[in-house]
Order: sequence, then structure tokens, then C-alpha cells
Amino acid sequence: MTRLLELQVVTKHFGGLYALGGLDLHVDEGEIVSVIGPNGAGKSTMFNVITGLYEPDEGDVRFRDSSVVGLRPNQITRLGIARTFQTVHLFPNMTILENAMVGQHCRTKTGVFGAVVHTPRARREEAQIREKAREALDFFGSRLAGYRQDQPAFALSYANRRRLEMARAMATEPTILLLDEPTAGMNPRETLELRDLIVRMRDERGLTVLLIEHDMRVVKGVSDRVVALDYGRKIAEGSYEEVANNEQVIEAYLGTKAVG
Amino acid sequence: MEGLRVRSYIRAGLVGGIVAIYLMLEGLVERFGELNLIGDQVTLGRVLLALPPAVAAFVVMRPRTEAGRLVQPERRAGTVGGALTGLVTGGVMAVALLWADWFGIDRVRAVFVAASPALVEFLTFGRTIVTGALILLSVGVISGALGGVARTTDPGLRRPLTAGLSALIVFGLLQRVIPIAMVEIGLTPDWLYSPITKGLTWEGAAVVFVVAVAASIFWERRGRALRAELRAASDERPSVKFSVFLVLLAIAAVLPLLLGAVVSEVLGQVMIFMLLGLGLNIVVGFAGLLDLGYVAFFAFGAYTCALLTGATLNTTTGAAAPALSFHLSFYIAVWIVALLAAGLGVLIGAPVLRLRGDYLAIVTLGLGEIVSILTTSNWLQPIIGGAQGMRGVTKAQIGILNFQDNPQHFYYLGLAFVLLALFVSWRLSASRIGRAWNAMREDEQVADAMGINTTRFKLLAFAMGGAIGSVGGALFAVNLGSLTPASFVIFVSITALAVVILGGLGSLPGVIVGALVLIGLPGLLREFEEYRLLIYGGTLVAIMVLRPQGLVPNVRRMRELKEDERSQDAWAQAQAGADDGVAAEEPA
Repeated sequence: MTRLLELQVVTKHFGGLYALGGLDLHVDEGEIVSVIGPNGAGKSTMFNVITGLYEPDEGDVRFRDSSVVGLRPNQITRLGIARTFQTVHLFPNMTILENAMVGQHCRTKTGVFGAVVHTPRARREEAQIREKAREALDFFGSRLAGYRQDQPAFALSYANRRRLEMARAMATEPTILLLDEPTAGMNPRETLELRDLIVRMRDERGLTVLLIEHDMRVVKGVSDRVVALDYGRKIAEGSYEEVANNEQVIEAYLGTKAVG
Repeated sequence: MEGLRVRSYIRAGLVGGIVAIYLMLEGLVERFGELNLIGDQVTLGRVLLALPPAVAAFVVMRPRTEAGRLVQPERRAGTVGGALTGLVTGGVMAVALLWADWFGIDRVRAVFVAASPALVEFLTFGRTIVTGALILLSVGVISGALGGVARTTDPGLRRPLTAGLSALIVFGLLQRVIPIAMVEIGLTPDWLYSPITKGLTWEGAAVVFVVAVAASIFWERRGRALRAELRAASDERPSVKFSVFLVLLAIAAVLPLLLGAVVSEVLGQVMIFMLLGLGLNIVVGFAGLLDLGYVAFFAFGAYTCALLTGATLNTTTGAAAPALSFHLSFYIAVWIVALLAAGLGVLIGAPVLRLRGDYLAIVTLGLGEIVSILTTSNWLQPIIGGAQGMRGVTKAQIGILNFQDNPQHFYYLGLAFVLLALFVSWRLSASRIGRAWNAMREDEQVADAMGINTTRFKLLAFAMGGAIGSVGGALFAVNLGSLTPASFVIFVSITALAVVILGGLGSLPGVIVGALVLIGLPGLLREFEEYRLLIYGGTLVAIMVLRPQGLVPNVRRMRELKEDERSQDAWAQAQAGADDGVAAEEPA
């Protein structure tokens, strides 16, 4: 398997607080890797560093063997890294379809002239944007499909907003998808449904997935590999069973056993 | 009696009285006393006198929430309460009149120029002071009661009557426009407008009132259905929408022929501000970048056009050739102007890329001021004439059309460019570019993370907005034939922004309506010219309070303004969504 994404001794601190303290992590092509860890372990900071929202203080982020440090978020997205946010960030007043169409933006290049004159190329491209956006929405089945697509995004339920955010990320045609707590706010039934969808993202779409997740049923169900973080460092790595039974991980979540 | 809230009536009445006195001291009441609306009895001044008590009563009688329920005041409370409110307003006016008489109107006048004997004469209807005070009191009581009744009466009755009265005022105000148009299409206007008083005749007023009431009733009964039908039809077949557009275009095309040179001149100004509005709408409405220095593009367009078409400098010793001059036809120059202005847009945009909101507004304000100061500077005097300005901007002529000396012809030139700008804006907004701007406006950081090059699209917005605005400037130069720095002041930026906001940010029909209302109306009603700023201010405040989404809102913007309400029931919605999810899955 080829190495797709690699974090090399990445450090990021805010004032005196080390959010990431020399983190090493890699994701191979076609893998589903889950990152777990207690609140404040640096998981979302890691996503922000990968996608260019933060620049690392030290270390390197490499995608397909070239560094992405210093690139703007939109350039990184164009390279093939798409993400969702822990707190949903849609464009609430645009329609559902338009939200997904924005995802296609970085794969198209109609300029002012094409947009105003409607050149055949521009028209073809607009049709393609629409089709790809629909396709991304259709991946989530009846939840986002059909008559609902010309409604504004804010009209969606919380769970559907999460789905739309994932659809928008998929519409950027990424190689790797970073999902930040995709099941937060979903009921148990929806959580299980999403677990299956994540597996299908890889199997049907050929996506590599890196996800942050708290729900252990999801982590267990989807992960090829699990990485546990605490205080911005990797404390364990391996299969779900290995990590779940790792003493340091249990300690990070539950605290130290009382002596005596 | 139950349901009377005397204290709020007194408060509202006092506010009404203060407003009335303010209008008098500004000179509006007396000045508009000369403007006959109907016969020579109903003048705009008298309407203004009766308006404050009526409005105060109307506002104070609004439905209130009591213990969580909306309570509509009863009719009797409405009448009595309205009359009481009006009594207070009338009382304030009467007391002011008595005081001014006792104190000596000339001494008041030393401070308030408009407090003249003529004003006293107007307020007393030519009688003694005491009679005048009594008349003001009774005007207050009667119009207050009417205002109260109007609020508490059934909307089915209120709306037609409001429509009738508004139609009377509008027709009365348009007394210089409508008769000309009637003559032009072969009708005699004398039955409608009296040639002596200039206002509506009483018979004419009756006809206008009845027609407006009938139209309103018809609209109440059938209008909603008609509109829904039209909307459904235009959703199915876009050709319906297109034919509506064609009808409007046809009206726009014959307008100057019907209305004559004076009105066409005003409409020409409207066209220039439509271009400014359309350009600014791209920057502020589409991309969400608040630009308070838009006059920069207006000035740039005007001066560049003048230089390219071979204008000369005004100097104390006569005309002189500028240090930099070309002799191009206007039709070639205007494209060069637009292109250069796009470049200027990028230049202005580049330093402010990292700024947002308030900071961006302040910096653009400064950049705009720099440009308007440059127009007066000695440094640029050899090129653009400094404080004396330029003259001899080429006559834009094509065949028999003369755009400089004939306002009707200029109107068509303006219309052509407005249509072009509309088309460009419309196509852009519906494209990938428009979506990128929209996404950027809603959340810049997320737009960046979704692959939108925010730097490029911000600069593109400034460039496109600048290009369209500069064409407005070029037209301005061609229309006047000469330029002075006095035309390029911050007031242009403010007006353009007011046009965009009044119509509704991001809405193309909004810009058109906004320019018609803000530039067209004051231009047509020359009595208002003096009070233009007062009326702008009043209109903008009223719009922001009553209809913040603008006159013809953009759908998305309308949603944004309701965001507060939404976030409050976000929890409820999330709950409903979760239930929905479970319910949807049950059958499977």
C-alpha cells in the first residue's frame, strides 16, 4: 500500500499550551483510520493543521510525498484533501444543492467570460457541476435526495446538516476525506447507518478516510487502524482491540487506577 | 373605560407633536403649503400637518402582546385613544403656536429661519392666533381619531382605503409628469389636473380614489391567486418570466417619448445611479465586502473617459490641453475605461484583502476619500484640471442620436449600458462565480477550506464592481460634457450604497427600484430638492425598521435576516429532525 498522508513530528502550540507535541501519523491509500482520544487531545487541531487552517510550528505534513505546509486551505483541498467540521459549517442560506455545488468549485474553471456568454464549455461544465453535486447528495440516499434539494440548508435537521457537509466534502472529489466526529448529534439508528456509509465511501468511492470519532461502535465497525491521542501525542496505535485494551488508553479516558 | 392606556397615548402624542414642530421648523410644512394636491384646499403642507397625529395614533393602537397573546385594541378604544393621542399632538402644536406669538415670531426666527410670519399665517389659516390654535387642536383630534380607527378597523376595509389615499397623494405629487404623458398619448388632462391649481381636480381625485379602491379590492380577492398562478407558470416555462421582462423593457423604451425632456433628464440620472448600484451590488451584495469608497470608481470612470475622448482643462486663462490626452470615440473609450477600472479595483482590493466588516468599510472609506481629494489636487492639475475641472468631453454621437444635448437620447444610451450590466450581473450570480461569492459571504474560512480561492474571488468582485461603476462615471462625463471635483464626493458613495440597501442587498430588481425611488422621485419633485438629505435619512431609517430586507429582497438575504428567530428554535428543529429520521425509517 502506498503512503498517502503523513504527519512527521508535527508540533503546534497556542501560547504555552501544546495542542500537538511531536505527532507522527500516517494514512495509507484505501485505509480507514480512526483517531480517538479524550477532549482536548489535539484531534481537531490535527485536522486544522492538515487542511492548512493552522500552520504547524514544527514538523511536516506530506501528501503523496510532497509537503503541504504553507499552502492555503483551498490549494490543499484542490490537491485532494476534503474535510468536515466538528461543529457543522454549512452555507446555511444557500440551497442544499448549491452547497454541494460549491464543493465542485475547485474542479472547474469557468471564468467571467464563460459565465456571462454561456460558452458551450461553460454550459457543459455547469451541467457537470450539477450532476456531480447530485451524485454526492444521492450517496446519502433518500435522506438528502429528491425534492428537498432546493430548500435552504438551514431547514435541515441537525443530522442532515452533517450528511450535507459530508456530501459537500465528497463533491470536491477528494482522495482522502477527513471526518470530524461525523456521528455527533445523531441518534443510535442514524449512527449505525452512517457507520455503513463510511465503509461504502471506501468500497464504492475508493476514498481513503481519516475520522475523529467518539462512538466506539463506529470506531470498531469501520477502522482498519485506530490511533489514540492524548496531550497532542500518539499514545497507542493498532487494531481496535489492541488500542481498546491498551492500558495507557484506558488511563487517558478513565484516569489512573487508585493505588492501594 | 377599559383598555385605555392614557399614559402611552400621551407619550405617543408628545412624540407626534415634536415631529410636527420639527417639520415646521425645517420649513417643510410651509414650503409644501404651496403644492396643491387636490384643488387648492388640500396642499401637501396641510397633509403634513395632519399626518403626525394620525401616525402617532396609528402606531400607539398597534396590537400588543399581553400574557403571550396578541391583543387587538377594540374599535371604541381605537377611536377614543386615537383622538386623545391626536389631542396631545394638536395641543403641542397649538401651544407652540401660542408661545411663538407671545414670544414674538421674529425673535424665534432669529434661531429658526423657517419660523416666519408666513408659517404663522399658514398655521392659523389666515385667522387670529386663538382660532388657529383651536383649528390645530381639532385637526389633531380628528386625524388622531381617524388614525386610531384605521388601525382597529378590519384590514379588508383598511387596505382599500389606504390604497385610495396613497393613490391620491402619488397622483397629486406626480402632477408634473402625468399630464405631460397624457397629452403625449392624445388625452386631455384638464379633467384630472386643474391647469390653474396644478393639482388634481376634485372630480379627478374622486376618479383616482374610486379606481384605486376598486383595484385594491380586486387584488385582495384575486391577486394572491393570480400571483401564484403566474409564479407557477413561470416555474414551468421560463418564457413567462421572459415576457414579463420584455413588457417592462417596452415600457422603459417608450418612457422618455411619453414624458418629455425634463423627466428624461431625471431618468438619465437614474440610469447612472443604476449602474453605480449594480456595480456596488456585486461588491457588497454578492461578495459581502462593504465598500464605502465607491466614489473612487465613479470619479475614475468620469475622468478617464474625459481624457480618452480629448477633453480640455479649465484654467484661469481659458482652455488648455491636458498633459495626457487621446482622441478616441466614446464607444471605444468606454471599454478601455471599464478595463482600467477593473485594474483599479484589483489595486484597491489588494491592500484590504485581509480585512473584514468594519475594518474593510473604514479603509475603503479612506481610499475613496483619497481619490476625491486627488481630483482637486494641484499635483494632478496638469492632467485632470484640479479644482477647475475639465470641459469639452466628446459629444457621444451616433447617427442622429446626440447623447449630450438631448436627454431622451442619453436615456437610451444609459438604458443600453444598464441592460448590459444587468445581464452580466445576472449571469455571474447564477454561475460558479456567483456561488463562490455567496459562499465567501456566508463563511469565508469555510469557503476557503472547500476549495474556493478567496483572494482571487475578492479581487474579482472589486474588479467587476469597479468596471460597472466606472461606466456609470463615463456616462456621467458624457452627459454633462464637463467635470468638476464637486461631483466626486463621499455623498456619491453613500447614495450608491443607499440605492443598493433600499432595494435589497444582492437583488437586481432591487437596484432598479432603489435607484428609481432614491434618484427618480426627488428629481421629479423639485420641491423636495432642498430636503433631499432629510428624506433620504428618513426613508432609510423607515426601511431599516419596517423592511430590513429591502423593497425587492433577494431570497437568500431574506433568510439571513431571520437567522435570529431560527437559532432560537434550533433545538426544537433538531428534535423535530431526529423524530423525522426515526419515523422515516420505521417502514423499512
